[in-house]
Amino acid sequence: MGAALAGYLTFAVVLFGGWELVGRLRLVDPDLLPPLSEVSALLWRFLQDPRFIADLGVTASEVAVAFAIAAPLAISTGFLLGERLHLAEAFNPVVHFILAIPQSIFLPVFILAFGIGFLEKVLFGITHAYFVIVVNSFAAVRSIPPPLVSAARVFGATRTQIYTRIYLPAMLPLILTGLRLGMIFCIIGVLLAEMYASRRGIGRLIFTWGESYQVPELLAGILLISVLTVAVNETMRLAELRVSRFYTRTAAA
Amino acid sequence: MSTPIIEVSKLGKDFRAGHALVHALSDVSFAVTEGQFVTLVGPSGCGKSTLLQILAGLIGPTRGEVRIDGKRISAPIPEKISMVFQDPTLLPWKTALANVEFPLDLRGVARPTRRERCSALLELVGLREFAEHYPHELSGGMRQRVAIARGLAQDPRLILMDEPFAALDEQTRTRMGHDLLDIWEKTRKTVFFITHSLTEAIYLSDVVMVMSPRPGRILETIAIDFPRPRELDVIGSEAFGRVRNRIWHLIAEAEA
Repeated sequence: MGAALAGYLTFAVVLFGGWELVGRLRLVDPDLLPPLSEVSALLWRFLQDPRFIADLGVTASEVAVAFAIAAPLAISTGFLLGERLHLAEAFNPVVHFILAIPQSIFLPVFILAFGIGFLEKVLFGITHAYFVIVVNSFAAVRSIPPPLVSAARVFGATRTQIYTRIYLPAMLPLILTGLRLGMIFCIIGVLLAEMYASRRGIGRLIFTWGESYQVPELLAGILLISVLTVAVNETMRLAELRVSRFYTRTAAA
Repeated sequence: MSTPIIEVSKLGKDFRAGHALVHALSDVSFAVTEGQFVTLVGPSGCGKSTLLQILAGLIGPTRGEVRIDGKRISAPIPEKISMVFQDPTLLPWKTALANVEFPLDLRGVARPTRRERCSALLELVGLREFAEHYPHELSGGMRQRVAIARGLAQDPRLILMDEPFAALDEQTRTRMGHDLLDIWEKTRKTVFFITHSLTEAIYLSDVVMVMSPRPGRILETIAIDFPRPRELDVIGSEAFGRVRNRIWHLIAEAEA
């Protein structure tokens, strides 16, 4: 844990320090790479601008709504497939086909069908998150060692107790992995949809700044999204590490 | 004589494997007296574990019946029968003590009561200092000790043991057998033990039942009358060797 933290810090110092230095020493055209201090000052101003905050809020609510719908839906699908293997045999190939296709190519279809508003962003976020969570919660059900269930039955566990006392804790690490990946995919989906065609949202802003060669603004947007997504990912990964600390050697062996 | 704790009569079990019908057990009949240590030996795949699962109420028989304490069994009876599995099947997210408490926890026994009882059981299996350790922090032998303590938690009358020491190294295994006898002397539960180690079977048991290759049936029931408490030295004795050879020939001839 200490080594990892030192690694993160070194990475941050090298990246941000290097960025600032390259900008200050004018090693790269400052129109292309303004120094970090300038970009972060701009970002600070943005964060006090209600219009910018409103755009950020639109994106965040699209992601939140998409994730809140996708996650329970996908977990129950994965659970059902894990419990009913004949369903899994029929459905799993479909899931894997869909995971193989780059979903971005369907974006124009989504726009034709649902327009370019909130609904389309949410739906695109849902389809991005759904399948990866399904695959992980399916794996979570299959990862439960059957002898654990037999033992619980011998000790008199009811069906409900088997689900709450064995299934749930045993599945939790893989479910959380699925949720984390699902969240990343969800953000990708929403931002992609915003950048492609949208009137609002941080994705739209970033795309417009790029189009109009507003480099400091563009970099400020990229910096903000990067910091936010890394923070979300790391928080979820910490939760994952917490619940999987019991599996450091062999699970249930 | 009282009712036997286990009565198995004309038990048979078939499995469907694809299109083929596999006869796992056929015409198995025997009885076990309460308080005895009975071991079932037989070659791998002879249906020993299937028989144990039927005795535990985990699966039903195809033919015949099993009576536990006079009552026909159709589902697990946690207050009478417990089981120790080949894999310790401890819950990885619970401490050793919480694992021992698990059967009582399922039945809603209050925490102070179960804590007191289960701490004593951990002490009995020699793991008092490891109460707060998680299974992955324990050795294979220790995990199996926790599983034995868990098997005793509900104060059952019968403990089924499915090759509990098979995954352990020879030394640990011998030691565990010795300690199990010690625990058995103290608790006097009926133990129905499965193994493919003849030495283990003879050393531990009052009665050894020899099972044939599939479809499994009981070839012979042999009373083992070495005095108790037994010391490990008995394994090297001539009398022990004679019993061992006899069982070995029984199995070898049945396989031929």
